[in-house]
Amino acid sequence: MLLSIVLSGVAIGCVYALIGIAYNVMFSASRVFSFTAGTLGMAGGILGALFILKLGLPVWAGFLLALAGGAILGVVTEILAVRPVLKSLDQHLYVLSTLALALIVQQFAAIEWGTDAQPFPRLLNIERNSFDQQFWLPMVACAVTIVGLEVLYRRTLLGHAFRAIAEDNYAARALGLPERNLRMASYAIAGVIGALSGFAGGQMLLAFFDNATLLTFYGFVPVALGGMGNNRGAVVAGLVLGLFQQAANFLVGGVFSSVAVFAAFILVLLARPEGLAGVALGRRV
Amino acid sequence: MDMFTSGARPARASFWSSPAITAALPWLVLAAIAVALPLYGSGYWGVIATRACVYWVLVAGLNLLVGFAGQLAIGWVALLTLGAYITAVLSAANVLPEVHPYLALAIAAIAGALFGVIVGLPALRLRTFYFAITTLGFATIVRQIALAWASVTGGGVGVPGPVFPPPFDSQWGFYYLCLGFAAICTWMTVNIANSRFGRALTAIRDAEVAAEASGIAKPRLLILVFLFSGATAAIAGGLFASLQSYITPDAFTTELSVLFFIGVLIGGRGSIIGPLLGTILLTVLPEFAAPLVAWSTFLYAVLLLVIVLVIPGGIAELLDFKNRKPLETHRALVPRPELLKRLLAQDDDPGTLTLEQVELHFGGVRAIDGLDLTILPGQVHGLIGPNGSGKTTTLNVISGYYNPQRGRAVLKDAVLTQLSHHRRAQLRIARTFQTPRIVGEASVIENVMIGGTIDGTGSFFESLFALPRHWQDEKKLHETAMLALSAVGLESLAGVRADRLQHSELRFVEIARALMLRPAFVLLDEPAAGLSVEEIRRLGALVVEMAKNGTGVLLVEHHADLIFDICDHVTVLNLGKKLAAGTPAEIRSHREVVSAYLGG
Amino acid sequence: MPTSAGEPLLRVAGLSSGYGKIGVLRGIDLVVGPNEVVALLGPNGAGKTTLLRAVSGLLPWSGTVQFDGRDLSGAGPREAAKAGLVHVIEGHRIFTQQSVYDNLLLGAYDLPRGERAARVEEALDYFPEIAEKRHERAVALSGGQQQMLAVAQGLVRRPKLLMLDEPSAGLSPVLVDRVFVVVRRLRESGTAVLLVEQLIEKALALANRVYALARGSIVLEANTGEADLPNRLERAYFATARSND
Repeated sequence: MLLSIVLSGVAIGCVYALIGIAYNVMFSASRVFSFTAGTLGMAGGILGALFILKLGLPVWAGFLLALAGGAILGVVTEILAVRPVLKSLDQHLYVLSTLALALIVQQFAAIEWGTDAQPFPRLLNIERNSFDQQFWLPMVACAVTIVGLEVLYRRTLLGHAFRAIAEDNYAARALGLPERNLRMASYAIAGVIGALSGFAGGQMLLAFFDNATLLTFYGFVPVALGGMGNNRGAVVAGLVLGLFQQAANFLVGGVFSSVAVFAAFILVLLARPEGLAGVALGRRV
Repeated sequence: MDMFTSGARPARASFWSSPAITAALPWLVLAAIAVALPLYGSGYWGVIATRACVYWVLVAGLNLLVGFAGQLAIGWVALLTLGAYITAVLSAANVLPEVHPYLALAIAAIAGALFGVIVGLPALRLRTFYFAITTLGFATIVRQIALAWASVTGGGVGVPGPVFPPPFDSQWGFYYLCLGFAAICTWMTVNIANSRFGRALTAIRDAEVAAEASGIAKPRLLILVFLFSGATAAIAGGLFASLQSYITPDAFTTELSVLFFIGVLIGGRGSIIGPLLGTILLTVLPEFAAPLVAWSTFLYAVLLLVIVLVIPGGIAELLDFKNRKPLETHRALVPRPELLKRLLAQDDDPGTLTLEQVELHFGGVRAIDGLDLTILPGQVHGLIGPNGSGKTTTLNVISGYYNPQRGRAVLKDAVLTQLSHHRRAQLRIARTFQTPRIVGEASVIENVMIGGTIDGTGSFFESLFALPRHWQDEKKLHETAMLALSAVGLESLAGVRADRLQHSELRFVEIARALMLRPAFVLLDEPAAGLSVEEIRRLGALVVEMAKNGTGVLLVEHHADLIFDICDHVTVLNLGKKLAAGTPAEIRSHREVVSAYLGG
Repeated sequence: MPTSAGEPLLRVAGLSSGYGKIGVLRGIDLVVGPNEVVALLGPNGAGKTTLLRAVSGLLPWSGTVQFDGRDLSGAGPREAAKAGLVHVIEGHRIFTQQSVYDNLLLGAYDLPRGERAARVEEALDYFPEIAEKRHERAVALSGGQQQMLAVAQGLVRRPKLLMLDEPSAGLSPVLVDRVFVVVRRLRESGTAVLLVEQLIEKALALANRVYALARGSIVLEANTGEADLPNRLERAYFATARSND
């Protein structure tokens, strides 16, 4: 019993962490939190089921197409909902524009795909056991993403450019870095990561339109608690969230676990608005 | 506000184009359509109209929160759910003894008010997006509880909604009940919108630091609005339960919440009629074409995106004919400093404002390093120095945006550095900002009236019901604001939306707003930046006259000519320290100053 | 496009710019010749930084800006930098979390992969002091070294014109001299420099020509050899209402 709580907790925590990382990647490039983060996860699940189950494509093709779909969604987010409102960040219009886009995509999915949760294919043709692929696939996805991002950010010039626009957007522009293209690329990467989370976690979460709302919320918890822009914090907080949720689920049952998670989230945030690992922001005037 | 534009109106304008009538016309038309609906509408339209009324009861309150205060409460459906279940459960008598529906509705309103504060509290501490997410979380949680707590709520099976006693038990009877609630909510929110509280809310939304400097206590005001919005949402919930006649958790979806929220936004921020039309539009839209019903939320979202990107002002902006009239392009600001006497008359000794050994650092950087400063009443004190020498930081210490690590600021017997911003405004310390902090969507005079918020005597409650003290406050604030605008030379633009003004005019709007505090001390942060030579001269005359009337002025400025012209005393800062102090003549010949300030 | 001998490298005419509604600059005319060091002086708030920002495309402007025979209207900082107009912004804003070497590589972002390393070494040659620290994170550098790094970032592109915004701010006199030595070397190697500076005497010693900016307009243009320049500058700064002149 304990084993299954831990396994499912870590697995779902990895999905949350990935969505949290998608939030962070978008935030680093634009100082904007986007409501589309959870939508990306939903898209990964639905596109995977669509390509593999409905259209009968091989798993690898479905996987690549789902990620490509995520990337496109990321770029569309940047063009439609972020770029037009970047000039007036202080008016918080991005909250509205990204919410609108997230709803558009989610509602489109609800209508075209249906409002019932539909099955997601088993990806690997291996026997089911207690440490099943539905648990370890999200873990692998999370590990690969973290290593991949680390390599990108530390070892490549492109990654350095991403870090540069995250640290000082203005100086990066003055230096002649292609800030707009880099921002679009960041959103594409965030799209891939988000879709990957939904795809890898598809067997747990199924192909369900309402995963968008769920993941938008639970994926933000690691960001808020781990400190915005802090991927390591997001992973740790994501795992803690997953384990806490599954344990509460087991101990007190479904609804009250949600209440417990939510109450804990609010209380921690009220005590430390900058997150457990974050730093308070400075000047206003 | 209309009476001020009326002067510009051509004399032969007809009755129908008079501003007061233009403003009232949409309300009259709406009221006529609504009251007469049973005469021509079918029962089917009656249900839709009732639903629109119920939604508006919620949206009216939410509008104060979202449209006025700018708090992006996406999940306000949580309050609707709460109100619906409380009313339904209490009047269904399946758990507790039966409660009369009206009493149940009242209990729901009280619970809604309290829960509104709980849902709203994070807004006082969290960033915008965080708050939006937490309200969404509340909505989900409340719905899940409704589903799980089957012994009370009936779980997925649901509970019957309350039936209101005659004459409100018939379809049209119930419609009139809901219409009545909607009308009362409209009236109350219009009252708030046109009071110092409504203006303070928009100031919190668009110019938070200016709101604080004007003495507006954000937490207190927001809590009042959470109470009100929570109560109206819960009442809407009770009516909603009755309208549905049977409620299950499925009725309270995120989509419904989004509908309310979008209703406010497509209506336009800071407007009442706009969100009202928005709500009606969103309620009616899906009825025109049955196939659209499935796509309704999709369409709302598209509408929201279009509004945000194309017409951020929403429906209200489309209806704002008054502000489409072109302004005169060559309008000169002619301040009338002689009017300051009537605004500033000091009744007692304001004392001196002193900084003692103030030290402030950000991380390792010393922004202010042991600064002593004395500002006397009735004098203009110039503060100059190179970029980053700590001038604005000094103002921010005085007005309370930064707390120094050492030292203190004192005015008379009050240690400023121990007081919150709004207490400093009560001590009559006013200020302006390097970039004007203005509510762009409000009129010029409303912006100025924000400066006098703390002088109101009526409570939020009195304004809600438009009791006598509300009118007294409004009259007095309005008169003082007109006087302040005349003093800075902007009275002809009183009724114009502030974001249509030129930059230099906004600087004078800020000064007028500062004058509303009858300041003992006023802190001016680069008031001449971006002004023409002639405007700077007029600004100088105004500042000198303020000092003559007893106000102590602390003037941060780059324009050396202005500083040397009008200051009684000049302090030069460099790297957070006092480099020199003295009369303008002394400073002008101070070699070190010339080299630090001008380079060389 | 080749420039003929008499033609200026940078020609600014009737330029106005500002921040949103706030107009800062009005009708600026200014030229920088090839191989010329031009100092741009003026009191705080006069609009010097705004002028550099407008020319490099960081701020929108109206008027004419021609560089190396090319019209820069609509060009952003990237296009300007590609054309050889490099702006080193105020306040040595380098990327503190990355190494000195990586900071310079970012300056070489648009260069062909094979050339980057050589260009970075070339820029480091100007500043032996930071060359020693090439693998350290930039946050570990002193303020003066960070300023050198910022200038070096610009040099990686081998600019035709380098615009420096207060390279001496916050530096000790010794370090200031070292930065100015580099500016002199650049001049000798044929790079034009537009220098915004608070240290008037040092700037005048280095520059061929000088412009003074006050209240958003050019109030003085002179060759640095002209007599009585410091006093004329001071008068230009303090001049009350120009309209009375």
